Amino acid sequence: MAPTENDIAIVGFAQLPPERRTNLTESDLVLRSTREVIAQVGIDKSEIGFTVSGSCDYLSGQGFSFVQNTDAYGMVPAINESHVEMDGAFAMYEAYVRLLQGDIDIAMAVGVGKNSNSDPSTLFTVEFDPYYLTPLGTDTWTLAALQARALIDSGKATERDFAEVVARNRANAKSNPFAQVKGDYSVDELLAADYVRNPLRRHDLPPTTDQAAAVILARGKRAYDLCERPAWITGIDHRIEAHLPTVRKDITTSVSTRLAAEAAGVGKGPIDVAEIHAPFSFQELILRESLGLDASTEVNPSGGALAAHSVMTVGLIRVGEAANQIIKNGKNRTLAHTTSGPCLQQNLVCVMEGDQ
Amino acid sequence: MADTVQEFVFNLTFPFTRTLGSTLSTFSSALAQGQIIGVRTGGRVIAPPLEYDPDTAADSGTDWVRVGPKGTVSTWTWVPEPTNLHPLDHAFGFAFITLDGADTPMLHLVDTGSESAMAAGMRVEAKLKAPADRVGRIDDIIAFVPAADPSPSEGAGEPFVAPEENDITEMDAYCDLQYVDNASPTTIMWAKALMEGRIIGQKCPQCDRTIVGPRGMCSVCAIELDESHIVEVPGRGVVSNFTIVTPTPYPGQTETEPFARCSILLDGADAVIAQQEILDVPVSEIRVGIHVEVVWAPENERSAADIDNRSRGSGGDIIVGWRTTGEPDEPAARYLDRMM
Amino acid sequence: MSHQPVAIVGIGQTHHKRKRADVSMAGLVREAAQRALEDANMDWGDIDTVVLGKAPDFFEGVMKPEMYLADALGAVNKPMFRVHTAGSVGGSTGIVGSHLVSSGRHKRVLSVAFEKQSEGNAQFALGGGKGASIGAGGAFAPFIRSYIQRSGAPEDIGWMVAVKDRLNGAKNPYAHLKLADITIDKVKESPMMWDPLRFLESCPSSDGACAVIFTDEDGGKAASKPPAWVLATAMKSEPGWYSGRDPVNPQAAHACAQEIYKAVGITNPREQIDCAELYVPFSWYEPMWLEAHEIAAPGEGWKMTQSGATALDGDFPVNMSGGVLSSNPIGASGLLRFAEAALQVRGLAEDHQVGGANLAIAQAYGANAQFFAMWAVGSSLNPLG
Repeated sequence: MAPTENDIAIVGFAQLPPERRTNLTESDLVLRSTREVIAQVGIDKSEIGFTVSGSCDYLSGQGFSFVQNTDAYGMVPAINESHVEMDGAFAMYEAYVRLLQGDIDIAMAVGVGKNSNSDPSTLFTVEFDPYYLTPLGTDTWTLAALQARALIDSGKATERDFAEVVARNRANAKSNPFAQVKGDYSVDELLAADYVRNPLRRHDLPPTTDQAAAVILARGKRAYDLCERPAWITGIDHRIEAHLPTVRKDITTSVSTRLAAEAAGVGKGPIDVAEIHAPFSFQELILRESLGLDASTEVNPSGGALAAHSVMTVGLIRVGEAANQIIKNGKNRTLAHTTSGPCLQQNLVCVMEGDQ
Repeated sequence: MADTVQEFVFNLTFPFTRTLGSTLSTFSSALAQGQIIGVRTGGRVIAPPLEYDPDTAADSGTDWVRVGPKGTVSTWTWVPEPTNLHPLDHAFGFAFITLDGADTPMLHLVDTGSESAMAAGMRVEAKLKAPADRVGRIDDIIAFVPAADPSPSEGAGEPFVAPEENDITEMDAYCDLQYVDNASPTTIMWAKALMEGRIIGQKCPQCDRTIVGPRGMCSVCAIELDESHIVEVPGRGVVSNFTIVTPTPYPGQTETEPFARCSILLDGADAVIAQQEILDVPVSEIRVGIHVEVVWAPENERSAADIDNRSRGSGGDIIVGWRTTGEPDEPAARYLDRMM
Repeated sequence: MSHQPVAIVGIGQTHHKRKRADVSMAGLVREAAQRALEDANMDWGDIDTVVLGKAPDFFEGVMKPEMYLADALGAVNKPMFRVHTAGSVGGSTGIVGSHLVSSGRHKRVLSVAFEKQSEGNAQFALGGGKGASIGAGGAFAPFIRSYIQRSGAPEDIGWMVAVKDRLNGAKNPYAHLKLADITIDKVKESPMMWDPLRFLESCPSSDGACAVIFTDEDGGKAASKPPAWVLATAMKSEPGWYSGRDPVNPQAAHACAQEIYKAVGITNPREQIDCAELYVPFSWYEPMWLEAHEIAAPGEGWKMTQSGATALDGDFPVNMSGGVLSSNPIGASGLLRFAEAALQVRGLAEDHQVGGANLAIAQAYGANAQFFAMWAVGSSLNPLG
């Protein structure tokens, strides 16, 4: 394709190795990931027209945690900069919109999450409806399990299907140097484990991961200065649905994913590779259906979110992995997805294409 | 010597108070009286009620409907090991329960004693706290239990007439989250030096600026600083600026009297150490230009236990504070702009 | 085509109070949003996307509250975005919302910012959940001391700002503090909080929300009430700390203003800008920002305050709404500044209207005086002719 000034591409992606427990701070992680991606595309930091990060105070347990993280940008002289209390994939979206303003050519988006500081079985109780859910200690595993049970009861999937998702992702992760959980597992072996929240077992849940990642985006022809085969963003959208799963009409499907996928033009052509952010194994099944993917699409060659799950980073890594399939792996059309909130409340879909 | 990786436990605890607004107040006040209600909006009864129709955001209105106390489980899960935030201390179920008279389910606990007793379609009924213990919060319902009599709830679906004024307008929301952070290499470097009675900075090889305290990077150049960039800075300097804080009370506040925190420009180091306490000058007499020197805790009393990743230059228990040297004050104007 | 014109056609805010005991968090944001919809003659269904801004989630103790607030703000099946840039967040929320229109992504965008500080405690949240919080006043007091010394400003400048902003606030029906009988003596005699800042020179802690609706050129021209046009936006950041940094005169504050002035064609801000809403949580920040934003020459900002130039009837009115000193729901405070500038150029500011305001700027700042957001709005796309 001949890019216009409004075409924007991912031209660089760096992620740090995922760790169950890093001894670095979030600021350290931001510094290392941004230094790496800047070096990768071969620019000076002063060439970046906009920098934006995604992180969350409650994960690390520190108010204004992102403020210290900005020390890693070297903001002298002052830079254009912003922050979202969302996954780095949404930071990438803000960078994309910022580039569309037309006055700058290069932007950097960062995601960072030191998840190991908090306990996922209790932390997310404060992310839910503060009047009706938080006082019951409603946890994220419980809400996922209720969704999984509904999926089973709908006849669309079985616990064996869940285990197969896990086995495939962990096997895929073996070839991903940035996977935390990987290996060969038999479905029967997985199904023998105890439930953490019936019908979910430990392996159906996401791992706890400390990680950071960064992408560099470029606009128009500038992208070719930074990358031989840029991953052009040809469609991107995100949607949210009602917060309480109890007022949604059908939690065995994801309306917000379907709407975002339609707006991003997923169905306009075949998707070679999809990097889907399914924190819980069974959600991959819901998401594949709602994204409208068929058997021709390779899903999560990285091992996906079951291989490493740093909340606030995991979505941006999906973007980076899907982009790298174009930049480094010769694929033509790929998809990245991220989710947030209880039972897939919010979903972002990004379609990227390489020059043919 | 605390030279291994240390973990710091931080309990984020706070008694939040939530004001409820009219819809939630109506629900809460009715619940405290033992009545569960929903609201009819957008052609369906939502229970517990929301202020807005989730599909359209239109105001839900006040078409209150009595629901429950019995209902039917549509989907469920089981919590074999409750956390400190769950209301029950023994294994229990969570379920979507469509209360009689309601069109949408509510999420709540189901206390059956055993996982095998849980099933979709089971009839359950609300078990409420004793009237005196109710505060109008959703956990006034202790849990749902299998219904002794599966027949429909009496009065469910009938209108509920709300009182003109609700007696419950607020709810307590106690936050109790535990965080465990570990000391970063930079923090350990800082703590070790302090234990040895040394204050260190890191000097950026690119811009030559020295930063005192555990940062591990130059915020101007965006490069990593490590042990090779350590420079020792003197424990003597001049107060360059200060703040005097009149503490306001809040849960967790440790201070009651005005206290001062000073920036000190260290002698010959072109670097400032911030947030320091002067021991021998009354708060009302703190001023710019005073010569001070660091006061170390005796070696056998030093502990790095309080020096975590967030303290960013705090001396913990190791630096007790700073005291005047007796040298005449420097002119304030020469120092005042060195807040940093 | 990139960068299409953006019109502001709806503005709403809550009545700000220390404690809005009559509403939930959803009720608070809905009150502001519904007023904005009414102002724009729109309904929830007309909105394409929602941007929510607020300061740290520790304030209310709800993590990422945009998830719970999605349906309350009519965002179901739409995109919803959450911004957090510390104290500047309200400004950033407006800017991010306007960019969604100027980029051609959406036609009608609702930006909402809020803080319900009475649910928790601001000092607790600012102290990171620990004791001995120095708070914002404690952090900024040294900067103010340094400004006073270097500018040679008399000590009553801070008191004058405190009085002026409260008198403006008394004219604003939505303001938290309405201190129509405030005097210099009352400010001077109020308790010292963070030397040299006195109690009445400091912002209150408020519950409140603000909402702004953006639309495209066609929507702006078709609006039933006069629109405000977004002429330029900027967000600039610098590190909170490095050796030798001058937080009194942050380079990011200069860069932010310079970018705005260049984009709009402003060569003489004092003459060409009709009024300004600046983030002044502590009185002395008025003269400090007048200088750092190059409206006054270095060391001269306080003279604008002293001469009455910044009063509602002066030649360069500042904080016509009463400013942060009159209402401070932290996360919303920036958007309230941005909204007031728009109200002024729309001619809808009623008792606090500056006559003939055609070009206004608004600013918010955050963290260690290091994050800046600013925009310029006009009564037309080319108010300088």
